[in-house]
Amino acid sequence: MRIGLGSFLRVGLALVLAVVLQLSTFSQMPILGGQFDIVVLVVAAVAYYAGAIPGCAVGFAAGFLLDLLSGATMGASSLVLTAVGYGIGRFREVRDPSHGLLPLAVGAVATGAWVLAFAAVSFMLDVGATVSPLVLRDMLVTVLLNTLLALPIFIGCRKLLRPVLAVDPLARSARRRPPRDTGPIGLRGLEI
Amino acid sequence: MQDRKAIRRRRAGLVVFLALSIAILTAYFGESGGGFFHALQRGAQETFAPIETGASRALKPVRDLVGWVGDTVDAKDENAQLEREVDELRAELARTRTAQRDASQLKGLVGLHKEEGFPQGTKPVTARVIARSPNVWYSSIKIDKGSSDGVELDQPVIAASSDDSGPSAGGLAGKITRVTGGTAEVTLITDASIGVGAQVMPAGAAGVVRPEVGDPRDLLLDLVHGGRVTENAIVVTSGFKTAVGQSLFPRGIPIGRVTDVDLDEVEIYQRVHLRPFADLRRIDIVQVLTRRGTPAQTAGVFQP
Repeated sequence: MRIGLGSFLRVGLALVLAVVLQLSTFSQMPILGGQFDIVVLVVAAVAYYAGAIPGCAVGFAAGFLLDLLSGATMGASSLVLTAVGYGIGRFREVRDPSHGLLPLAVGAVATGAWVLAFAAVSFMLDVGATVSPLVLRDMLVTVLLNTLLALPIFIGCRKLLRPVLAVDPLARSARRRPPRDTGPIGLRGLEI
Repeated sequence: MQDRKAIRRRRAGLVVFLALSIAILTAYFGESGGGFFHALQRGAQETFAPIETGASRALKPVRDLVGWVGDTVDAKDENAQLEREVDELRAELARTRTAQRDASQLKGLVGLHKEEGFPQGTKPVTARVIARSPNVWYSSIKIDKGSSDGVELDQPVIAASSDDSGPSAGGLAGKITRVTGGTAEVTLITDASIGVGAQVMPAGAAGVVRPEVGDPRDLLLDLVHGGRVTENAIVVTSGFKTAVGQSLFPRGIPIGRVTDVDLDEVEIYQRVHLRPFADLRRIDIVQVLTRRGTPAQTAGVFQP
Protein backbone atom coordinates (compact mmCIF):
# COMPACT_ATOMS: atom_id res chain seq x y z
CA MET A 1 0.00 0.00 0.00
CA ARG A 2 1.26 3.48 -0.85
CA ILE A 3 1.30 5.50 2.36
CA GLY A 4 -0.23 8.94 1.95
CA LEU A 5 -3.18 11.16 2.77
CA GLY A 6 -5.37 9.27 0.29
CA SER A 7 -4.71 5.88 1.87
CA PHE A 8 -5.29 7.26 5.40
CA LEU A 9 -8.59 8.83 4.35
CA ARG A 10 -9.81 5.71 2.57
CA VAL A 11 -8.89 3.31 5.36
CA GLY A 12 -10.14 5.73 8.02
CA LEU A 13 -13.47 6.10 6.26
CA ALA A 14 -13.85 2.33 6.02
CA LEU A 15 -13.03 1.84 9.71
CA VAL A 16 -15.33 4.57 11.05
CA LEU A 17 -18.16 3.36 8.85
CA ALA A 18 -17.62 -0.25 9.90
CA VAL A 19 -17.49 0.51 13.64
CA VAL A 20 -20.51 2.85 13.61
CA LEU A 21 -22.58 0.39 11.56
CA GLN A 22 -21.45 -2.48 13.80
CA LEU A 23 -22.50 -0.72 17.01
CA SER A 24 -25.68 0.92 15.78
CA THR A 25 -27.01 -1.83 13.52
CA PHE A 26 -25.29 -5.20 13.23
CA SER A 27 -24.84 -5.69 17.00
CA GLN A 28 -28.59 -5.23 17.39
CA MET A 29 -29.45 -7.90 14.82
CA PRO A 30 -29.13 -11.25 16.61
CA ILE A 31 -29.55 -14.24 14.32
CA LEU A 32 -29.64 -17.63 16.04
CA GLY A 33 -27.66 -16.11 18.88
CA GLY A 34 -24.87 -14.87 16.62
CA GLN A 35 -24.46 -11.65 14.68
CA PHE A 36 -22.62 -10.17 11.71
CA ASP A 37 -19.25 -8.70 12.72
CA ILE A 38 -18.12 -6.42 9.93
CA VAL A 39 -15.20 -4.82 11.79
CA VAL A 40 -13.07 -7.97 11.65
CA LEU A 41 -14.04 -8.46 7.99
CA VAL A 42 -12.87 -4.94 7.09
CA VAL A 43 -9.59 -5.52 8.95
CA ALA A 44 -9.13 -8.86 7.16
CA ALA A 45 -9.93 -7.29 3.77
CA VAL A 46 -7.43 -4.44 4.24
CA ALA A 47 -4.76 -6.90 5.41
CA TYR A 48 -5.54 -9.25 2.53
CA TYR A 49 -5.10 -6.57 -0.11
CA ALA A 50 -2.44 -4.37 1.54
CA GLY A 51 -0.19 -6.77 3.49
CA ALA A 52 0.98 -7.48 7.02
CA ILE A 53 2.12 -4.06 8.24
CA PRO A 54 -1.00 -2.16 7.05
CA GLY A 55 -3.00 -5.15 8.33
CA CYS A 56 -1.74 -4.92 11.88
CA ALA A 57 -1.93 -1.10 11.86
CA VAL A 58 -5.55 -1.20 10.70
CA GLY A 59 -6.31 -3.98 13.20
CA PHE A 60 -4.95 -1.84 16.02
CA ALA A 61 -6.89 1.24 14.87
CA ALA A 62 -10.13 -0.70 14.41
CA GLY A 63 -9.84 -2.30 17.86
CA PHE A 64 -9.03 1.03 19.47
CA LEU A 65 -12.04 2.70 17.85
CA LEU A 66 -14.31 -0.23 18.71
CA ASP A 67 -13.31 -0.20 22.39
CA LEU A 68 -13.54 3.58 22.49
CA LEU A 69 -17.10 3.72 21.19
CA SER A 70 -18.48 0.52 22.73
CA GLY A 71 -17.22 1.29 26.25
CA ALA A 72 -15.43 -2.08 26.51
CA THR A 73 -12.03 -2.59 28.10
CA MET A 74 -9.59 -0.44 26.12
CA GLY A 75 -6.85 -2.40 24.38
CA ALA A 76 -8.49 -5.84 24.35
CA SER A 77 -9.93 -5.60 20.83
CA SER A 78 -6.78 -3.84 19.55
CA LEU A 79 -4.61 -6.68 20.80
CA VAL A 80 -6.63 -9.35 19.03
CA LEU A 81 -7.36 -7.45 15.81
CA THR A 82 -3.67 -6.48 15.45
CA ALA A 83 -2.76 -10.17 15.47
CA VAL A 84 -5.59 -11.05 13.07
CA GLY A 85 -4.58 -8.28 10.63
CA TYR A 86 -0.95 -9.35 10.72
CA GLY A 87 -1.80 -13.02 10.22
CA ILE A 88 -4.04 -12.39 7.21
CA GLY A 89 -1.50 -9.98 5.72
CA ARG A 90 1.31 -12.52 6.07
CA PHE A 91 -0.87 -15.19 4.48
CA ARG A 92 -1.33 -12.96 1.45
CA GLU A 93 2.38 -12.09 1.27
CA VAL A 94 3.59 -15.68 1.56
CA ARG A 95 0.98 -17.47 -0.53
CA ASP A 96 0.02 -14.71 -2.99
CA PRO A 97 -3.43 -16.25 -3.50
CA SER A 98 -5.68 -15.04 -6.30
CA HIS A 99 -8.78 -17.24 -6.39
CA GLY A 100 -11.96 -15.18 -6.54
CA LEU A 101 -13.70 -17.06 -3.72
CA LEU A 102 -10.78 -17.00 -1.31
CA PRO A 103 -12.30 -14.06 0.69
CA LEU A 104 -14.92 -16.53 1.95
CA ALA A 105 -12.26 -18.70 3.57
CA VAL A 106 -10.20 -15.70 4.71
CA GLY A 107 -13.31 -14.09 6.25
CA ALA A 108 -14.22 -17.31 8.07
CA VAL A 109 -10.70 -17.86 9.42
CA ALA A 110 -10.31 -14.22 10.48
CA THR A 111 -13.67 -14.25 12.27
CA GLY A 112 -12.92 -17.58 13.93
CA ALA A 113 -9.57 -16.31 15.15
CA TRP A 114 -11.16 -13.06 16.36
CA VAL A 115 -13.97 -14.66 18.40
CA LEU A 116 -11.73 -17.36 19.89
CA ALA A 117 -8.87 -15.02 20.75
CA PHE A 118 -11.25 -12.42 22.17
CA ALA A 119 -12.87 -15.09 24.33
CA ALA A 120 -9.41 -16.12 25.55
CA VAL A 121 -8.51 -12.50 26.37
CA SER A 122 -11.84 -12.06 28.17
CA PHE A 123 -11.13 -15.16 30.26
CA MET A 124 -7.66 -13.85 31.07
CA LEU A 125 -9.20 -10.55 32.16
CA ASP A 126 -11.29 -12.58 34.63
CA VAL A 127 -14.95 -12.96 33.72
CA GLY A 128 -16.66 -12.99 37.10
CA ALA A 129 -19.64 -15.09 36.05
CA THR A 130 -20.68 -18.51 34.86
CA VAL A 131 -20.16 -19.01 31.11
CA SER A 132 -22.85 -20.86 29.18
CA PRO A 133 -21.86 -23.47 26.58
CA LEU A 134 -24.13 -21.51 24.23
CA VAL A 135 -21.20 -19.11 23.79
CA LEU A 136 -19.62 -21.71 21.50
CA ARG A 137 -22.78 -21.91 19.40
CA ASP A 138 -22.89 -18.11 19.15
CA MET A 139 -19.26 -18.06 18.01
CA LEU A 140 -19.95 -20.67 15.35
CA VAL A 141 -23.02 -18.79 14.08
CA THR A 142 -21.01 -15.55 13.93
CA VAL A 143 -18.33 -17.28 11.85
CA LEU A 144 -20.95 -18.68 9.46
CA LEU A 145 -22.74 -15.32 9.13
CA ASN A 146 -19.45 -13.53 8.46
CA THR A 147 -18.55 -16.12 5.83
CA LEU A 148 -21.73 -15.16 3.99
CA LEU A 149 -20.92 -11.47 4.28
CA ALA A 150 -17.20 -11.77 3.46
CA LEU A 151 -17.41 -11.54 -0.32
CA PRO A 152 -19.31 -8.21 -0.56
CA ILE A 153 -17.17 -6.65 2.17
CA PHE A 154 -13.94 -7.72 0.44
CA ILE A 155 -15.19 -6.47 -2.93
CA GLY A 156 -16.18 -3.13 -1.36
CA CYS A 157 -12.80 -2.77 0.35
CA ARG A 158 -10.96 -3.73 -2.85
CA LYS A 159 -12.79 -1.02 -4.78
CA LEU A 160 -12.10 1.53 -2.04
CA LEU A 161 -8.41 0.68 -1.69
CA ARG A 162 -7.49 -0.10 -5.31
CA PRO A 163 -6.20 3.42 -6.15
CA VAL A 164 -3.75 3.37 -3.22
CA LEU A 165 -2.56 -0.25 -3.43
CA ALA A 166 1.00 -0.92 -4.59
CA VAL A 167 -0.14 -4.13 -6.32
CA ASP A 168 -3.52 -4.17 -8.02
CA PRO A 169 -5.42 -7.29 -6.85
CA LEU A 170 -7.14 -7.62 -10.22
CA ALA A 171 -3.80 -7.54 -12.06
CA ARG A 172 -2.60 -10.31 -9.72
CA SER A 173 -5.61 -12.43 -10.67
CA ALA A 174 -4.92 -11.86 -14.36
CA ARG A 175 -1.28 -12.86 -13.88
CA ARG A 176 -2.35 -16.17 -12.38
CA ARG A 177 -4.82 -16.98 -15.19
CA PRO A 178 -3.83 -20.16 -17.11
CA PRO A 179 -2.61 -19.72 -20.74
CA ARG A 180 -5.17 -19.93 -23.51
CA ASP A 181 -5.39 -23.35 -25.13
CA THR A 182 -7.26 -22.42 -28.33
CA GLY A 183 -6.20 -20.66 -31.55
CA PRO A 184 -3.50 -21.50 -34.11
CA ILE A 185 -1.26 -24.33 -32.92
CA GLY A 186 1.90 -22.27 -32.99
CA LEU A 187 0.43 -19.50 -30.81
CA ARG A 188 -1.20 -21.59 -28.07
CA GLY A 189 0.05 -20.67 -24.63
CA LEU A 190 1.81 -17.54 -25.86
CA GLU A 191 -1.12 -15.13 -25.17
CA ILE A 192 -0.68 -13.56 -28.65
CA MET B 1 19.84 -7.54 2.60
CA GLN B 2 16.67 -5.84 1.44
CA ASP B 3 14.65 -8.88 2.57
CA ARG B 4 16.14 -8.82 6.04
CA LYS B 5 15.33 -5.14 6.35
CA ALA B 6 11.73 -5.80 5.29
CA ILE B 7 11.42 -8.71 7.73
CA ARG B 8 12.81 -6.60 10.57
CA ARG B 9 10.45 -3.74 9.72
CA ARG B 10 7.46 -6.08 9.56
CA ARG B 11 8.24 -7.73 12.87
CA ALA B 12 8.93 -4.39 14.50
CA GLY B 13 5.53 -3.16 13.28
CA LEU B 14 3.76 -6.13 14.83
CA VAL B 15 5.64 -5.82 18.13
CA VAL B 16 4.97 -2.07 18.36
CA PHE B 17 1.21 -2.45 17.83
CA LEU B 18 0.92 -5.42 20.20
CA ALA B 19 2.95 -3.60 22.84
CA LEU B 20 0.74 -0.52 22.41
CA SER B 21 -2.38 -2.62 22.89
CA ILE B 22 -1.02 -4.23 26.05
CA ALA B 23 0.09 -0.85 27.38
CA ILE B 24 -3.40 0.59 26.82
CA LEU B 25 -4.99 -2.48 28.42
CA THR B 26 -2.74 -2.18 31.46
CA ALA B 27 -3.26 1.57 31.78
CA TYR B 28 -7.04 1.17 31.45
CA PHE B 29 -7.17 -1.37 34.26
CA GLY B 30 -4.82 0.65 36.41
CA GLU B 31 -6.61 3.99 36.22
CA SER B 32 -9.72 5.14 38.04
CA GLY B 33 -13.06 5.92 36.39
CA GLY B 34 -11.92 9.51 35.84
CA GLY B 35 -8.61 8.56 34.19
CA PHE B 36 -7.38 9.47 30.72
CA PHE B 37 -8.73 6.49 28.78
CA HIS B 38 -12.10 6.54 30.55
CA ALA B 39 -12.38 10.26 29.78
CA LEU B 40 -11.35 9.57 26.18
CA GLN B 41 -14.09 6.94 25.91
CA ARG B 42 -16.70 9.33 27.27
CA GLY B 43 -15.59 12.08 24.89
CA ALA B 44 -15.57 9.79 21.86
CA GLN B 45 -18.97 8.37 22.73
CA GLU B 46 -20.43 11.83 23.10
CA THR B 47 -18.90 12.92 19.78
CA PHE B 48 -20.16 9.90 17.88
CA ALA B 49 -23.58 9.76 19.58
CA PRO B 50 -25.38 11.87 16.91
CA ILE B 51 -23.94 9.71 14.12
CA GLU B 52 -24.90 6.50 15.93
CA THR B 53 -28.37 7.85 16.64
CA GLY B 54 -28.86 8.73 12.97
CA ALA B 55 -27.55 5.39 11.75
CA SER B 56 -29.59 3.50 14.31
CA ARG B 57 -32.83 5.21 13.27
CA ALA B 58 -32.16 5.04 9.55
CA LEU B 59 -31.35 1.34 9.63
CA LYS B 60 -34.03 0.27 12.09
CA PRO B 61 -36.24 -1.25 9.37
CA VAL B 62 -33.25 -3.35 8.27
CA ARG B 63 -32.69 -4.52 11.84
CA ASP B 64 -36.34 -5.37 12.22
CA LEU B 65 -36.25 -7.27 8.95
CA VAL B 66 -33.22 -9.30 10.03
CA GLY B 67 -34.64 -9.70 13.53
CA TRP B 68 -37.79 -11.04 12.01
CA VAL B 69 -35.79 -13.61 10.05
CA GLY B 70 -33.94 -14.65 13.22
CA ASP B 71 -37.17 -15.08 15.14
CA THR B 72 -38.55 -17.18 12.31
CA VAL B 73 -35.70 -19.63 12.60
CA ASP B 74 -35.96 -19.65 16.38
CA ALA B 75 -39.66 -20.38 16.51
CA LYS B 76 -39.91 -23.79 14.89
CA ASP B 77 -43.31 -24.41 16.46
CA GLU B 78 -44.75 -21.36 14.77
CA ASN B 79 -43.56 -22.35 11.34
CA ALA B 80 -46.91 -22.22 9.62
CA GLN B 81 -47.75 -18.83 11.04
CA LEU B 82 -44.37 -17.45 10.06
CA GLU B 83 -44.75 -18.74 6.52
CA ARG B 84 -47.92 -16.67 6.20
CA GLU B 85 -45.99 -13.68 7.46
CA VAL B 86 -43.43 -14.08 4.66
CA ASP B 87 -46.14 -13.05 2.20
CA GLU B 88 -46.92 -10.00 4.28
CA LEU B 89 -43.34 -8.75 4.32
CA ARG B 90 -43.34 -5.52 2.38
CA ALA B 91 -41.56 -2.28 2.88
CA GLU B 92 -44.73 -0.62 4.15
CA LEU B 93 -45.29 -3.42 6.59
CA ALA B 94 -41.73 -3.12 7.89
CA ARG B 95 -42.37 0.54 8.69
CA THR B 96 -45.70 -0.26 10.31
CA ARG B 97 -44.19 -3.00 12.42
CA THR B 98 -41.42 -0.70 13.55
CA ALA B 99 -44.05 1.67 14.87
CA GLN B 100 -46.04 -1.18 16.37
CA ARG B 101 -43.02 -2.56 18.16
CA ASP B 102 -42.20 0.82 19.68
CA ALA B 103 -45.82 1.24 20.79
CA SER B 104 -45.89 -2.26 22.28
CA GLN B 105 -42.75 -1.69 24.29
CA LEU B 106 -44.02 1.66 25.55
CA LYS B 107 -47.33 0.06 26.49
CA GLY B 108 -45.47 -2.68 28.33
CA LEU B 109 -43.43 -0.16 30.27
CA VAL B 110 -46.55 1.78 31.25
CA GLY B 111 -48.15 -1.49 32.35
CA LEU B 112 -45.11 -2.35 34.42
CA HIS B 113 -45.53 0.81 36.50
CA LYS B 114 -49.14 -0.13 37.20
CA GLU B 115 -48.18 -3.60 38.43
CA GLU B 116 -48.87 -4.47 41.99
CA GLY B 117 -45.74 -4.06 44.09
CA PHE B 118 -43.81 -1.83 41.67
CA PRO B 119 -42.13 1.08 43.53
CA GLN B 120 -44.02 4.36 43.30
CA GLY B 121 -42.70 7.83 42.44
CA THR B 122 -39.69 6.63 40.42
CA LYS B 123 -39.94 9.43 37.83
CA PRO B 124 -39.12 7.30 34.76
CA VAL B 125 -37.31 8.76 31.73
CA THR B 126 -38.05 6.93 28.49
CA ALA B 127 -35.07 6.45 26.17
CA ARG B 128 -34.28 4.82 22.85
CA VAL B 129 -31.41 2.35 22.40
CA ILE B 130 -28.88 3.72 19.89
CA ALA B 131 -26.04 1.19 20.17
CA ARG B 132 -25.28 -2.18 21.66
CA SER B 133 -22.05 -3.89 22.72
CA PRO B 134 -20.73 -6.06 19.90
CA ASN B 135 -20.13 -9.33 21.77
CA VAL B 136 -21.37 -11.49 24.61
CA TRP B 137 -18.53 -10.62 26.98
CA TYR B 138 -19.68 -7.05 27.54
CA SER B 139 -23.44 -6.79 27.80
CA SER B 140 -24.30 -3.14 27.54
CA ILE B 141 -26.40 -0.74 25.50
CA LYS B 142 -26.21 2.96 24.85
CA ILE B 143 -29.32 5.14 25.15
CA ASP B 144 -30.14 8.59 23.80
CA LYS B 145 -30.81 10.23 27.19
CA GLY B 146 -28.09 11.58 29.45
CA SER B 147 -27.38 13.83 32.39
CA SER B 148 -29.29 16.71 30.79
CA ASP B 149 -32.44 14.55 31.08
CA GLY B 150 -31.83 13.74 34.73
CA VAL B 151 -30.05 10.44 34.16
CA GLU B 152 -27.34 9.67 36.73
CA LEU B 153 -24.95 6.86 37.53
CA ASP B 154 -26.31 3.65 39.09
CA GLN B 155 -29.95 4.42 38.34
CA PRO B 156 -31.98 1.29 37.54
CA VAL B 157 -33.23 0.69 33.99
CA ILE B 158 -36.31 -1.31 33.02
CA ALA B 159 -37.39 -2.74 29.68
CA ALA B 160 -40.54 -4.24 28.25
CA SER B 161 -41.17 -7.91 27.64
CA SER B 162 -41.47 -9.30 24.11
CA ASP B 163 -43.96 -11.88 25.30
CA ASP B 164 -47.40 -10.32 25.45
CA SER B 165 -48.97 -13.45 26.87
CA GLY B 166 -47.04 -13.31 30.14
CA PRO B 167 -48.37 -11.79 33.35
CA SER B 168 -45.58 -9.26 33.53
CA ALA B 169 -45.14 -6.36 31.14
CA GLY B 170 -41.38 -6.35 31.56
CA GLY B 171 -38.79 -5.99 34.23
CA LEU B 172 -35.34 -4.94 35.34
CA ALA B 173 -32.86 -4.56 32.46
CA GLY B 174 -29.76 -3.11 34.10
CA LYS B 175 -28.22 0.01 35.59
CA ILE B 176 -26.58 3.19 34.33
CA THR B 177 -22.79 2.88 34.36
CA ARG B 178 -21.67 5.85 32.30
CA VAL B 179 -23.33 9.19 31.55
CA THR B 180 -22.60 12.01 29.15
CA GLY B 181 -24.72 15.07 28.46
CA GLY B 182 -26.93 13.45 25.84
CA THR B 183 -26.27 9.72 26.18
CA ALA B 184 -25.82 7.06 28.80
CA GLU B 185 -24.47 3.53 28.92
CA VAL B 186 -26.59 0.82 30.52
CA THR B 187 -24.86 -2.31 31.76
CA LEU B 188 -27.42 -5.06 31.42
CA ILE B 189 -28.15 -7.68 34.08
CA THR B 190 -26.65 -10.22 31.67
CA ASP B 191 -23.21 -8.58 32.03
CA ALA B 192 -20.66 -10.55 34.00
CA SER B 193 -20.03 -7.64 36.36
CA ILE B 194 -23.63 -7.34 37.57
CA GLY B 195 -25.22 -8.84 40.68
CA VAL B 196 -28.69 -7.87 41.85
CA GLY B 197 -30.06 -8.48 45.36
CA ALA B 198 -33.32 -10.32 44.82
CA GLN B 199 -36.16 -12.02 46.62
CA VAL B 200 -38.45 -14.81 45.52
CA MET B 201 -42.14 -14.06 45.91
CA PRO B 202 -44.24 -15.11 47.69
CA ALA B 203 -41.88 -17.56 49.47
CA GLY B 204 -39.53 -14.78 50.57
CA ALA B 205 -36.25 -16.59 49.87
CA ALA B 206 -33.43 -14.14 49.10
CA GLY B 207 -30.35 -14.34 46.90
CA VAL B 208 -28.28 -12.59 44.26
CA VAL B 209 -29.23 -12.66 40.59
CA ARG B 210 -26.17 -13.28 38.41
CA PRO B 211 -25.96 -13.75 34.64
CA GLU B 212 -24.98 -16.80 32.68
CA VAL B 213 -22.71 -15.32 30.00
CA GLY B 214 -23.83 -16.25 26.51
CA ASP B 215 -27.44 -17.08 27.36
CA PRO B 216 -29.50 -13.90 27.80
CA ARG B 217 -32.64 -15.93 28.49
CA ASP B 218 -31.18 -17.65 31.55
CA LEU B 219 -30.20 -15.93 34.81
CA LEU B 220 -29.00 -17.57 38.00
CA LEU B 221 -30.32 -16.82 41.46
CA ASP B 222 -27.25 -17.57 43.58
CA LEU B 223 -26.85 -18.05 47.33
CA VAL B 224 -30.54 -18.75 47.84
CA HIS B 225 -31.47 -18.80 51.51
CA GLY B 226 -34.42 -18.19 53.79
CA GLY B 227 -37.13 -20.22 52.13
CA ARG B 228 -38.12 -22.87 49.63
CA VAL B 229 -38.13 -21.87 45.96
CA THR B 230 -40.59 -23.41 43.51
CA GLU B 231 -40.81 -23.24 39.75
CA ASN B 232 -42.81 -20.32 38.30
CA ALA B 233 -42.21 -18.18 41.37
CA ILE B 234 -41.64 -14.49 40.66
CA VAL B 235 -38.27 -12.90 41.49
CA VAL B 236 -38.13 -9.18 42.34
CA THR B 237 -35.44 -6.79 43.52
CA SER B 238 -35.05 -7.01 47.28
CA GLY B 239 -33.82 -3.46 47.96
CA PHE B 240 -32.20 -4.83 51.12
CA LYS B 241 -29.92 -2.76 53.27
CA THR B 242 -26.71 -4.58 54.21
CA ALA B 243 -23.52 -3.73 56.06
CA VAL B 244 -22.03 -2.58 52.73
CA GLY B 245 -24.90 -0.23 51.98
CA GLN B 246 -28.32 -0.13 50.45
CA SER B 247 -29.05 -1.98 47.20
CA LEU B 248 -28.96 0.26 44.10
CA PHE B 249 -32.33 -1.09 43.02
CA PRO B 250 -35.51 -0.16 44.88
CA ARG B 251 -37.58 -2.99 46.27
CA GLY B 252 -40.23 -4.55 44.07
CA ILE B 253 -38.96 -4.31 40.47
CA PRO B 254 -39.80 -7.62 38.74
CA ILE B 255 -36.71 -9.44 37.43
CA GLY B 256 -37.93 -12.78 36.15
CA ARG B 257 -39.67 -16.07 36.76
CA VAL B 258 -38.04 -19.20 38.22
CA THR B 259 -37.79 -21.79 35.44
CA ASP B 260 -35.65 -24.57 36.84
CA VAL B 261 -35.17 -25.79 40.41
CA ASP B 262 -32.73 -28.67 40.48
CA LEU B 263 -32.57 -30.02 44.03
CA ASP B 264 -28.94 -31.12 43.64
CA GLU B 265 -27.98 -27.68 42.35
CA VAL B 266 -29.91 -26.03 45.17
CA GLU B 267 -28.17 -28.15 47.80
CA ILE B 268 -24.65 -27.87 46.41
CA TYR B 269 -24.60 -24.35 44.91
CA GLN B 270 -27.72 -22.76 46.52
CA ARG B 271 -28.71 -21.81 42.97
CA VAL B 272 -31.86 -21.82 40.80
CA HIS B 273 -32.45 -20.66 37.22
CA LEU B 274 -34.81 -17.91 36.13
CA ARG B 275 -35.87 -16.31 32.88
CA PRO B 276 -35.85 -12.49 32.82
CA PHE B 277 -39.11 -10.70 32.09
CA ALA B 278 -37.34 -8.04 30.02
CA ASP B 279 -36.41 -9.12 26.52
CA LEU B 280 -32.68 -8.45 26.77
CA ARG B 281 -31.86 -9.67 23.26
CA ARG B 282 -33.84 -7.04 21.40
CA ILE B 283 -34.35 -3.86 23.35
CA ASP B 284 -35.42 -0.75 21.48
CA ILE B 285 -36.91 1.36 24.26
CA VAL B 286 -36.07 1.46 27.96
CA GLN B 287 -36.98 3.56 30.97
CA VAL B 288 -34.50 4.93 33.49
CA LEU B 289 -35.91 5.27 36.99
CA THR B 290 -34.41 8.62 37.89
CA ARG B 291 -35.83 8.67 41.39
CA ARG B 292 -35.57 5.82 43.87
CA GLY B 293 -39.25 5.96 44.75
CA THR B 294 -40.93 4.30 47.67
CA PRO B 295 -41.86 0.64 47.91
CA ALA B 296 -45.56 0.02 47.37
CA GLN B 297 -47.64 -1.06 50.36
CA THR B 298 -48.02 -4.43 48.72
CA ALA B 299 -44.37 -4.63 47.75
CA GLY B 300 -43.40 -8.05 46.51
CA VAL B 301 -46.88 -9.54 46.62
CA PHE B 302 -47.18 -11.05 43.14
CA GLN B 303 -49.44 -13.75 41.90
CA PRO B 304 -47.29 -16.66 40.61
